[in-house]
Amino acid sequence: MLFLGFFLNRDSRALMRSNSSRCRFNLILIATLCVVGFLPEALGQGASDREDQLMAQAAAARMQNDVPRAIELYSQVVERNPKSPDAWWFLGSLQYGTGAYIAARDALSHYVDLIPTAGPAFALRGLCEFETGEYSKALVDIQQGTKLGAANQPRNEQILRYHEALLLTRLGNFSAALKTYAYFAKDSISNPELMTAIGLAGLRMPMLPKELVQDQQTKDPQGKDPQSKDPQVKDQQELVSAAGNAAYRYMAGDEASAKQSFQELFQRFPKATNTHFLYGYLLFSTNPDAAFDEFQKELEISPANADADVMAAWALLLRNEPADALPYAQKAADAEPSHPSAQLVLGKSLMESGDLENGMQHLEKAAQLEPDNLEAHLALAKAYSKSGRKEEARRERQLSLRLTSGNGTPTEHP
Amino acid sequence: MGPRLSILRKFLTVAFLGVAVNAVAQATHTNIASSCAGCHAAESKWQTDTPMGRAMQWPDVNPLFKTHPELTFRKGAYSYTVDTKDQPTYSVTDGTRTITLPIHWSFGKGAQTWVLEKDGQLLESMVSYYPSIDALEITTGDQELKPQNLDEAVGRKLRETEPKDCFGCHSTGSVLKGKLHLETIQPGVTCEHCHTGAASHMVAAVQGEGYGTAPPDLRKLTSEDISNFCGQCHRSWETVVRSTWRGEVDVRFQPFRLANSKCFDGTDPRISCIACHNPHQDLVRDDSSYDSKCLACHAAKNESASGAPQAVSHRDAKACTVASSNCVSCHMPKVKLPNGLVTFHDHEIRIVKPGAPYPD
Repeated sequence: MLFLGFFLNRDSRALMRSNSSRCRFNLILIATLCVVGFLPEALGQGASDREDQLMAQAAAARMQNDVPRAIELYSQVVERNPKSPDAWWFLGSLQYGTGAYIAARDALSHYVDLIPTAGPAFALRGLCEFETGEYSKALVDIQQGTKLGAANQPRNEQILRYHEALLLTRLGNFSAALKTYAYFAKDSISNPELMTAIGLAGLRMPMLPKELVQDQQTKDPQGKDPQSKDPQVKDQQELVSAAGNAAYRYMAGDEASAKQSFQELFQRFPKATNTHFLYGYLLFSTNPDAAFDEFQKELEISPANADADVMAAWALLLRNEPADALPYAQKAADAEPSHPSAQLVLGKSLMESGDLENGMQHLEKAAQLEPDNLEAHLALAKAYSKSGRKEEARRERQLSLRLTSGNGTPTEHP
Repeated sequence: MGPRLSILRKFLTVAFLGVAVNAVAQATHTNIASSCAGCHAAESKWQTDTPMGRAMQWPDVNPLFKTHPELTFRKGAYSYTVDTKDQPTYSVTDGTRTITLPIHWSFGKGAQTWVLEKDGQLLESMVSYYPSIDALEITTGDQELKPQNLDEAVGRKLRETEPKDCFGCHSTGSVLKGKLHLETIQPGVTCEHCHTGAASHMVAAVQGEGYGTAPPDLRKLTSEDISNFCGQCHRSWETVVRSTWRGEVDVRFQPFRLANSKCFDGTDPRISCIACHNPHQDLVRDDSSYDSKCLACHAAKNESASGAPQAVSHRDAKACTVASSNCVSCHMPKVKLPNGLVTFHDHEIRIVKPGAPYPD
């Protein structure tokens, strides 16, 4: 129980509100992970008697829940021996628990320098960076931590996935965020903040749930009195939450209920941006025709929505109608030339309409804008192959294989 | 008018006018192969008995059921029986309870898996028939499944989009506008499956408009396009890459393997699927019969590529220093699936080095 709450910042506490007994159980798991996962790596380091003594005192302070004393003692250890990984770990994790995120981040940085395969340390550093607002670094660390096995228990997995999805949203990678949130819907994990978080990703608003609240407080300092709330601000929160709720239902597999929720959302907020886009996006993989209708409705509300143009073009490509996809793709690429998906869908539309040369140019641009975009390399491989550029096709194929190697479980039964 | 009359006469002689004069919407896939045979006799003659033509079989015409009145298999706590004496059934028992389901859909000509329906859910049978052992074994890909109860032991539940994919490839007319329609199913790959528009072409032909309505000529596709076309069922390179299937299991996916070959050229017709395989005929299993296909690019052993006479100057690939026959036996080695029950020639054409791992 020593590390009780170390992973539990405000967001994760909110996430777990729904099931307190399971929460307690999982806290024990986290504590177990922290202790069992790190001590073996830490053991065997040379330590002086004085250092041993300090470590023992620090451990005793921890056991007694005397966190300030434990921090002080671990600080003394690392001052004497900066290569003591376990002292850095305990120092960082204790500091995280007290909300000293910058200090915790730095201590954990020392730890991962010493033990670069320590997944949980990367993950915890990512959570520190989340709190300090270093969102890009936080995402990288959380993903690295997950890759190195930090999500080895359901509770840890939930916390890390949730933060990863929050960060993806904050950084504008809404599709990946929604994909991550689907995990919660499939596992029936639900609470109001999660709905807001999903709503933000779905409506393509690059902010955290807490920022939406701050945004409201800024615009509505009198917010304590519901009567005085700015209706627009209040509406925005409700819009986000309702959109998240509808998307959650869809991701949970309850399509009928999701359809009803989306219809209510459309009625309540007929002019809201990205509501139809969100529904279309969710429908896309199973019903591209219905998805296309939603993208068109979105474009009626916001004609300059390049994402809606991109997705409309994809839906038409899926229907094997590349000529019809072209105007949507062209419009998106004209509006946002540095939008990788716009370049990609334009390249594919051109290629599949028979204009291989121009298609390749846009595909190459998409790959330049987003070098790890698998779809761009797959399309380029095909385009080069069709045009007889054998070696370039081979290069793109090898690159695509590399991009997908070690991607874990195959997507479906072969 | 001559050719049109000729076409009409052929149609009349095979007596399917009653089908053909219906509107396209009513032109069901039933009998379309025999109908097409009126004009395309060479293509139709053997196609219905090829592995593709028999990719799915109804129980009453399934030769396996005639030769094997009962197949049994036991794995762990569960015993399986495929009883084909009367109405074919698939049963599994744990000794205290038995689940018996009718077999409607047999997938495969040689190796066979059954798609079953239980309580409205489609399942892939947990066991399949394998000619290599002339017996039942666990279905390829399901070896890792550990059924926890009798219901799970019946088979693997097909995921949301799987039935459409399975029936879409093993039958004709089962997927319309992206939706599965088992009521319009025609077992196996028939003409319309590959030649979209064949049914309407048939109707138009009877009305004397056949030439303008012929489905696209697939022979005109590039090797890359043919690979993707066949890959719709045999799995295209893109599909396999996206799905991250790796290891020997992907030897089944010939378009993927072929595209990984150093010699694959998307614009060279000598390396396309149909350069070696005639989809209207049974698979040729004699290795030497493919030699001419290899030698269409590779110089023969006793002629250097650069010094080749004018007549063979297109053979610009290196000559094999070892042999000039049975090329595929070395350069497209046979690879067994991990369960050891089914073998495929690896279509990643290469110089195989002894002891080298399976290339991915």
